[in-house]
Amino acid sequence: MEIHEIIRIVLTIIIGTIGLAAFGIFFGLLYKGLDRKISAHMQGRIGPPIRQPFRDIGKLFTKENIVPENAVPWIFHLAPLIGLVASISILLYLPIGGFPPLASGYGDLILILYLLIIPSLALVIGGFASGSPYATVGAQREMATMIAYEFPLAIIIVTIAWKLSATTVGGTLIQNSFAISTITSTPVWSVVGPIGFIGLILLLLALIIVTPAELSKIPFDSPEAETEIGGGLLVEYSGRNLAMFYLMDSVKTIVMASIIVALFFPYNLSNLVGLDAGSYPAYTIDIIFYLIKVLIVLVLSVTIIRVAVARLKIDQIVYTYWVPLTLMALIGLICIMWDGQFGLPRIVEMLGLV
Amino acid sequence: MISIYDFIETLTTDSGFWNPLIWGVAIVIAFLIVYIIRGFGNKGYKKETEQTKVFLSGNPEYKEEKMHVKASNLYWGFTESLKWVYKVLDKMHTGNVSDYVLWFVIIMGTLFIILGVI
Repeated sequence: MEIHEIIRIVLTIIIGTIGLAAFGIFFGLLYKGLDRKISAHMQGRIGPPIRQPFRDIGKLFTKENIVPENAVPWIFHLAPLIGLVASISILLYLPIGGFPPLASGYGDLILILYLLIIPSLALVIGGFASGSPYATVGAQREMATMIAYEFPLAIIIVTIAWKLSATTVGGTLIQNSFAISTITSTPVWSVVGPIGFIGLILLLLALIIVTPAELSKIPFDSPEAETEIGGGLLVEYSGRNLAMFYLMDSVKTIVMASIIVALFFPYNLSNLVGLDAGSYPAYTIDIIFYLIKVLIVLVLSVTIIRVAVARLKIDQIVYTYWVPLTLMALIGLICIMWDGQFGLPRIVEMLGLV
Repeated sequence: MISIYDFIETLTTDSGFWNPLIWGVAIVIAFLIVYIIRGFGNKGYKKETEQTKVFLSGNPEYKEEKMHVKASNLYWGFTESLKWVYKVLDKMHTGNVSDYVLWFVIIMGTLFIILGVI
């Protein structure tokens, strides 16, 4: 690699990180506002204006940044920063707005899985560093929730990558099946038969149910549980530190929705409409289509679920993820495994109909 | 000798790859952005006043040792929901070596049957 090539890559990453941070924060807050508006309408309320999350951040910045006397101050201050920074860094590895990931050759889906843990860990560390019993209980619950949802999430990711690695395109096996660029260029729906299709639906449902836990939303928000432990992990956070956690949550919302879009709906409209790839109208239409896809995914996986269901207790959360949801994901995996062997053509052949 | 170019190469295995340095650059830039945004916020508060006491819904605050959530309670939600599994596992752990050897033989036998049949 030449030195000017290295400088070009580093400059791309620097400018890209600035752009993606602005994108993630702005649209994260916007979608938070839309989520609140839609859920309010579903409950027969008018709800706050869509720009309310921006006002919340503004308000939090004017409030005092209280550090409890029992807290470990440097960890208490650092945890929200680490959470937000890690959330922004995941955006670099995801296809945003129909564009390939900015750091596509430098990290794959496994890396994204690991990076997803950091914001949750930052919450846990911040909670423990608060020196409050409520925050400690919240942190303990967040840890149990993390252990619970990682299992089905790992099954979903591995199944899709395994299916792609066993698929041939143009006579050769697909390489780098964990790379996001591979996953988006070969939509999984196009490489499965009828049984595999059912398997993918099950995996998609499982991922939709994992999303509210990743984002600490009802029914999986027992680590925060305002009515029970007064905000749990965040009970002692105020002012700009709380604003950082609020922004982290917004960026993570975009991250989770983008992962679902990349894994299951990586389609673009520009080539269907017949626009030249790389032209400005194509970019515009792809970005708008991506934003609509993200909105639909968020309404389905966050808004509807949190309006329809009440909060679960922590042991119910762990049970939900470790028993029904893991079973669902495993059945999805088995369906995809058997897809080639027991697909419709094979069943028809076995029954002697052909 | 390892050259600088080897050092910045992307780490690859048969199925995955990542470049820690690229992530490092992104993290540093993101940290700067976030730190600047945080700088816009109010950093003051009234030290050693009532506002620095932890929120306990008006309950009396005991000594730290009494309020602390013990390590044995850390995974309470986890152990509570999987109690039925732990109960079975508890029963298996009789402390009798001959029971453990029996389990070993049963599992080895089952494995051989599975491997032999499949």
